[in-house]
Parts: sequence; C-alpha cells; structure tokens
Amino acid sequence: MPEYKGMVQPARASLTELRKIHIEPVPDELKPEKAVEYLDQLRKKFRSFVLAMESCTKCGQCAENCHTYLGTRDPNNIPTNRAELIRKIYKRYFTPEGRWFGKLVGAEDISLDVLEQWYSYFYQCSQCRRCAHVCPFGIDTCEVTFIGRQVLHWLGITPKLHATTGAAMEKSGNHSALPKPGIVDTLEFMSQEIMDEFAVEVEFPVDKPGADIMYIPSSADFLLNPYTLMGAGMFFTYIGANWTIPSTVTEAGNFGFLFDQYSTQRGNVMRLLNAAQELGVKKIVWGECGHGWRAAKMYIPTLADRPVRWPITHIHDEVANLIRNKELKLDPLKNSKPVTLHDPCNYVRACGLNENMRVIIKACVTDFREMNPHGADNFCCGGGAAILFDDPEMYQRRIMFSKQKAEQVKATGVGENGDGILCAPCSICKAQLYPMVEEHNLGVEVKGLIDLVGRALVWK
Amino acid sequence: MKLLIGQILPYFTVTIFILGMLYRLGRWAGARIVHNITLSPWLQTKGQVVLRVGTEAFLFRNLFIYDKALWAGALLMHFALFNILVGHLVGFGFLGTQFTLIPVLGITPELSLEMSNLFGAIFGIVLFVALLYLLYRRLAKEAVKLVNKPSDNLWLLYLLVLVGIGNIMRFVPDYHIEYILVRDYITALILFRPVVHMELLNNGFFLVHLLLVQILLIVFPFSKLMHVFGMFAERYIVNRVYHDPAPDLPNVDVVAARQAGLGVPDGNTAGEGV
Ligand code: HEM
Ligand code: SF4
Ligand code: SF4
Ligand code: SF4
Repeated sequence: MPEYKGMVQPARASLTELRKIHIEPVPDELKPEKAVEYLDQLRKKFRSFVLAMESCTKCGQCAENCHTYLGTRDPNNIPTNRAELIRKIYKRYFTPEGRWFGKLVGAEDISLDVLEQWYSYFYQCSQCRRCAHVCPFGIDTCEVTFIGRQVLHWLGITPKLHATTGAAMEKSGNHSALPKPGIVDTLEFMSQEIMDEFAVEVEFPVDKPGADIMYIPSSADFLLNPYTLMGAGMFFTYIGANWTIPSTVTEAGNFGFLFDQYSTQRGNVMRLLNAAQELGVKKIVWGECGHGWRAAKMYIPTLADRPVRWPITHIHDEVANLIRNKELKLDPLKNSKPVTLHDPCNYVRACGLNENMRVIIKACVTDFREMNPHGADNFCCGGGAAILFDDPEMYQRRIMFSKQKAEQVKATGVGENGDGILCAPCSICKAQLYPMVEEHNLGVEVKGLIDLVGRALVWK
Repeated sequence: MKLLIGQILPYFTVTIFILGMLYRLGRWAGARIVHNITLSPWLQTKGQVVLRVGTEAFLFRNLFIYDKALWAGALLMHFALFNILVGHLVGFGFLGTQFTLIPVLGITPELSLEMSNLFGAIFGIVLFVALLYLLYRRLAKEAVKLVNKPSDNLWLLYLLVLVGIGNIMRFVPDYHIEYILVRDYITALILFRPVVHMELLNNGFFLVHLLLVQILLIVFPFSKLMHVFGMFAERYIVNRVYHDPAPDLPNVDVVAARQAGLGVPDGNTAGEGV
C-alpha cells in the first residue's frame, strides 16, 4: 500500500515476514485500542517522550530546520507537527485538559486513520535530531518517532524493508543475508583487489581465536562500499593489529534501534557480546555506520543484560588518535580531488565524532571544503533511520528529502568539474547518496572516510 | 461577587495550583531517563552544563542562533514578565521601598517608590507590546501558523487582557491602587480574616485582574505554561556531561609494524630481506 488517503507510505511486511521477527499482528478492529494500551505502557517509561509530549510551546522554530519539511513543505513533516500526531492522542487519553477541553488543545480520538498517519509520517522522519539541536528546550522528536514506530511494530505495521532486514540479521548476522562462506570469499577477493590496486598484502582474518581486536564492519561494505572495508583492512595491517571479523556479527548497523528497540535491538546487542566472549577479544572497534554506531555506543550500556567487559570505540576514534600521535604516515596527494564532508547526523549530534572526522580528512586529502552548515548543525542526507524505500512514491520523497543536502554540496563547488568527492562515512548515508548525487546531478562520487585513509597510507 | 472572587476563590486557587503542580511534575518524574540521549558535542564539566542550560534558560541561546526575531520578541516578553512577577512580590511586600535595601546607593524611600512605579510602567508596556508581537507572529508567519492550536492564540490573548487591565490600573489615576491596600488584602487572606468589606474590592478592574490571575493559576499546571519546568527537565536529559572512552588499541605497536614492513609484499620486507 504505497498511498493511503493521499499520504505516502512504505510497503508493509507481510504476515510471514512479521512472524519471522516474532510479531503476531493485532486484528484491525482491535488496533486502535491496543495502540492506546501500548502507548500508555511506553509513556510511563520514557521521560524523554513525556517531555516531548508536554513541554512544546509551538514556537515553530523546528520547522525550517528539518530537511523533510524543507524538501516537501508537507505540514506534517514539521517536527512538532509530526510529534503532534501522537500528542493529540496522548492529550486525549492521558491528560485532564485533553479529556475535557479536547478541541481547544487539539486532542483527538484514536482511529485507524490516525495509525495510518503515524505510519506515513514516522517513517518520513530520519531521526536525525536536528530538531532537538535547535529547539529552545532541546525537545527531541526522534524520541517520539522511536515510540510511534515501536507501537506500530507491536500492532504489526512495519515496513517490509525494516522487518526483512531485522530477520536477516537474526538469521545470518548481517543485513545483507550473507552466509559465512560468502563473507570469506568476498574478503579473499578484497585481498586480491588491494594487491592489484595498491600493491599491498592484506589479510582479513575471520573468527580468529585469540585476536585482540574485533572489528565490526557494515555488511554493505562487502557489496556496495568495498573500499571502506578494504581501507579498514589496510589500516589494521599497517598498524600491525591482531584483529578479526566475527562471522556471527558482520554488521555494524542495528535496525532494531529504528523500529523495535525492545526485542530486535536488544537481540543484536546480545549477539555481539556473545561473539566477543567466544573469540576472547580485548576490544571492539566499530565500522562506518551512523545509526549503528549510536546504537552501539550510547545504547549497549543500557540494553546489555550483563556487564559489558569490552571497551567499544569507532574506527574513526582510533585512526584520529594515531594521526594525532603522528604514528600514521599519510600522503594527502593520493587524494587530490576536491572533497567535501557530509557529517552523518548520528555521528555529530549523538556520538561526538565531529572533531575526529576532521582530523582524519585533513590528513588524507589536499582540497577539503566544508559544507555550510556543517558539524552539529549539518542537515541529514534524507535517508536516515533507514528510510531508504524503493517504492516509487517513497523514492520521490527521498529525492525531496535530499534537496537540502544537494544544495549544500553544490554550494561547496566540489562537483564543478565532475570529479568531486562527497565523503559520507555512514552506510545509510552512502546508500541514500549513491542515487541522490545522480538525481541532483552533483558531479561527485560518494566515498567513506576510511576509503580515503586506505588510499593515503604510505607503506614504505 | 466580591465574596466569591475576593474571599473564597483564592483558597481554591492555591489548592488546585499546588495539587496540579504535584500531579504534573509527578507524571514527569514517574517516567525514567532510560537511555543516554545526550546531544553531542558533549559538555565536559558540570560548569559547562550550568553555563549551557543557564544561557538557554535566561538568554534563549538557541532562539538567538536560529531565529533572531523570535529571540527578541520572546526575550523581551519573558524578561518583562519576570520583572513584573518579581515586582508584584517585592512591591507589595515592601510597599515600593524595596530599592532602599540595596546597600551603598543610599536610595531614599521616596525615590524607591518612584523607581518602583517607573519600572512597573516600563515593563508593563514592554510586556504588552511583546505579547502583541508574538500574537502577530502566530497569525502571520507561515511555519508558525501551521503548528498553531487555538489554545496557543488564546494564551496570548488572555495575557494581553490580563496585562492590559494591569496597565489601566497603573496609568488611569481613577483606578489606581495604593500598594498598601493590596498588602493588607493579602495579609488578611493569609490570616484567614474576612476581606469582603475592603474598599479595594470595589474597584472593578482590580476584581477582574484578580479573577484572571486566579484562573491562570488554576489552569497553569495543566497548560503549556509548564514549559518553565519542562525546559529544565528536558535539558537535564539532553545536556549532560559525557566523556569519550580513551582510544587505544591493545597490543598495537605501529613503529614495530612499519619496521617489519607488514603488508609490503615479499622481497621488500625488511625483516626477511631476500
Ligand atoms: C526560565 C523560564 C522560561 C523559559 C526558558 C521560557 C522559554 C520560552 C520560549 C523559548 C518560548 C517560545 C518562544 C515563543 O513562542 O514566544 C516561550 C513561550 C512562551 N512562554 Fe515562556 N519561558 C519561561 C517561563 C515562562 C513563564 C513563567 C511564563 C508564564 C506565564 C511563560 C509564558 C510563555 C508564553 C505565554 C509563551 C508563548 C508565546 C507565544 O505563543 O508566542 N514563560 N517560553
Ligand atoms: S522548536 Fe521545540 S518548542 Fe518550538 S515548536 Fe519545535 S519542538 Fe516545539
Ligand atoms: S529528527 Fe530530523 S527528520 Fe525527524 S523531525 Fe527531527 S529534524 Fe525532522
Ligand atoms: S543516514 Fe546519514 S545523514 Fe542521514 S540520519 Fe543517518 S547518519 Fe544522518
């Protein structure tokens, strides 16, 4: 169902697909009342949600600061209005003013139509937190869409993309449903590629017992962004690390974070901790994935069901640290095309990677140009929270959502001669931007940050 | 009427206000901060947190960065409002002599009363004008129109009437009220003494002003005005100290690795040297 009463919606998971992620859909006639019941449970738990419901003054400042509203001019894509889709229900059922003066404060009864609105607009939010960053109170609409998506999921309304990705993770340990032999083959192929292109000998140890470092790549790096994984392999070889990739977790992303923080996200966390224990590693290093890194860095401490014995850092943290200590020899001339950096939202507004990315990029390229705005002020690429839907209506939206980014890239001028590089060190940004740079004719190639590191390393 | 508004309602108002606040704040406190959703770049010390939240709360930092017009209007409105609220308390409390309490300056009681009147007049007008601007903004600006609910306009209108009546009492001599009368009235209320006979309550404007304030206080705990506390509660979640774990890879010695020529194909490996 790509459209419902004029609203665009992503294709839904079928019954079989839902069962694979342990959901038994609620029958339509019960959905409204169950929605209120689930919402009641959740609002009693999450204060971040309660405050988003209760302390907005409707100042309107978030409107012009959300790329989805800027790109579509759809009023329901204004952050506070997106939140209002739940707030009107929240007021009606959980507050005295909404019960008695519903019209005045904009309260509304729950209905299937409201749930359809949620499905449409909560899956147009890329959970980029720019609204929280600019709101005078710090109200985070992302907290609202997390909860809205959770309720929808429990009712059995989940995008096909998210449900099947969640199921693939459970089955094969990555989002791309790659089995272990496929992983090993691909890695051998990459070793060969590195030898051919860079004349360097790199081995990718899989499930190596007694390794010190467990590297968690994004599974998209096996297929779509090979240079990111090759860059990581070259980096670990260069520094002489005793490292490994666990075949049971070849995925830096965690879609559970985006639609089901209770079961799917927690399940993935346990899987990771099991892998670390089995291989006996000392440290976990994360690959390039925005939401995945936020889910790992900020959520594992509160989701794990046991003490977490392994420090977890991002590969950018480690590379930047070695650059600061002058231990890496890098030759920026090897990346001499004009480069601009798209700051993945999760990195800069939730994980503090802002400075480290710049330390790395400045050491690796000759012509680096900042976008405006950048850093914590940056706009999302439009694909965040994995709203990478391919149905025609949703794809059109993705083009609109990336309008802001396209204008920013154009303004830097890196693509003027058609040979620019748009560095976007997050798997979802990459997946969104590969087609979008074509749609908007930006004249740039999308690359990860570790790609540039791999290329710039000086071996002798 | 005088009995109802001046004598009975105030006790009811205070009760509802206190219970309402406890209810609303209790509802917030009942839910927990489940995950760490601090906004980065992170603040590194408690001092930075205090500075950040302070500039947001008292200077409206984010409004200043992202929307200067709203910042000006909102800051003037809140600053005037704050001064008027404090002015009501100390003005009636000290009968206008509060400024004599400032040491060193040697302000006389007469001057203090004049200052009290002057500040009251200025902030009364500033508040009224700023509220008008905010209302205009709500009705005129596209993005704000789109997020507006009837209650948002109503609050501004309500405050305009409330403040307007206050200004009438200050500027129209016929309806002017001496501080002492108000203090006597409030003292009597606190001591549970009858007040109906008081001359003050014959002033229609005062009666309406008093009624509007009481309705405001009754509705306050159930309204968007709770953003005063919401702001601190929300900032308490998103602005806190966070320290990154130190980066450092176990058993990594880059110098040794480079001397060993790791990764460099056979024939060039320093250690093996064919
Ligand atoms: C530290 C305390 C406070 C802070 C940080 C604060 C902050 C804000 C901000 C940022 C806005 C949005 C801007 C706007 O829409 O004009 C706002 C609106 C508003 N505030 Fe406050 N406020 C505080 C205390 C109060 C108090 C005590 C009242 C009491 C009545 C109040 C009444 C209002 C009203 C009526 C609006 C809506 C204005 C409009 O509709 O445009 N505020 N406040
Ligand atoms: S910026 Fe914050 S307070 Fe203003 S409308 Fe948006 S969410 Fe509400
Ligand atoms: S999180 Fe991002 S996409 Fe979602 S409402 Fe806020 S600004 Fe818009
Ligand atoms: S996809 Fe990329 S830019 Fe967009 S929300 Fe994730 S990290 Fe942000």
